Amino acid sequence: MAASLSAAPTGRQARRPPLPAAPAAAPGAEPPADPAELERQAEAVIAEAFAHSERTAVSFSGAEDVVLIDLAARLREGRRVPVFSLDTGRLPGETYRFLETVREHYPVDLEILSPDAEETAQLVRAKGLFSFYADGHGECCAIRKIQPLRRKLRTLDAWITGQRADQSVTRSALPTCQPDLTFSTAEHPVRKFNPLAAWRSADVWAYIRRHDVPYNPLHDQGFRSIGCEPCTRAVGPHQHEREGRWWWEQAAEKECGLHGQNVRPIHMVAG
Amino acid sequence: MRITFVKKILASGQPCAKCADVEARLEATGQLARIDEVVIADERNPESRGMQLAARHAVAVAPFFLVERSGQTTVYTIYLKFAKEVFARQAKGPDEAQEMLRAEPGLDLI
Repeated sequence: MAASLSAAPTGRQARRPPLPAAPAAAPGAEPPADPAELERQAEAVIAEAFAHSERTAVSFSGAEDVVLIDLAARLREGRRVPVFSLDTGRLPGETYRFLETVREHYPVDLEILSPDAEETAQLVRAKGLFSFYADGHGECCAIRKIQPLRRKLRTLDAWITGQRADQSVTRSALPTCQPDLTFSTAEHPVRKFNPLAAWRSADVWAYIRRHDVPYNPLHDQGFRSIGCEPCTRAVGPHQHEREGRWWWEQAAEKECGLHGQNVRPIHMVAG
Repeated sequence: MRITFVKKILASGQPCAKCADVEARLEATGQLARIDEVVIADERNPESRGMQLAARHAVAVAPFFLVERSGQTTVYTIYLKFAKEVFARQAKGPDEAQEMLRAEPGLDLI
């Protein structure tokens, strides 16, 4: 469960431990991309997203996608950045504190979205607090994440995510801009922008170092992907970050897409 | 209105379990009779019609539905959303959300 939320403030000056090591490159991995070019491309995508509609916001998970906020804040030159985060009620205490660090550090309008109380209560009444270990995480995530996200996206025309192609096997062709077929309706189309689509984990951490970006202290404890406390664990240096999430489920249950085809994106990242 | 249902054959040659589940639900609710065409997306053959439709409409998951109305095509990757909007069949919000999660791998990382 989440730790106490009343800990002392954690301004970026108050915490500067060594940054976590970037994951080792796999044999045969592509050489690092030019950081300046990656930043330029990401900024262009963010600019396009905000130009698309005033009803655009950044989705922030409280983890290394803080890079998105740093990029957007620089790009908007003092104009406040609309940001939303999904508070599932089960986040680690470090993440709650980090959300407040970000709120203090950047010119953001940070909206914290909560699950529907009755839907959550029904699930807990019927199945208890840890049903995901037996039934899979889908039901709990649907109530605590997807439902609040759906409600939020009904008020937006576009959202900006920190999704990267290297986060899962099904995202190898993740576009930087796409019609969001999941959340669009016939009356209300929604677009999704993924400025970090071409970034690898190492690129994200290089950016954090280069720009002295505050980050979730759980990363110093070996957490590469950070979600809810019961569903997140630290991983070893050569493990994929996805192995730190829902590790009790089969990989095949986590990933299911239409493979072997080229999805036609608005913009497709290379590689 | 013209409705196309695209279902997948896996690279192993096996039918996609999720597609079979949706097809069973279409059948159980009598909606299958209102589908104009069922098309196969065969992962072993990028030229199969379903794979081509997926590429044309930028769809990365299966099954999916194409609904053509008045010259406009709407793509549905979520069965319950399709059923609600096209057949006015209501679903519980969390059930639909769970299907969204299944249809879009990685959404749970948001």
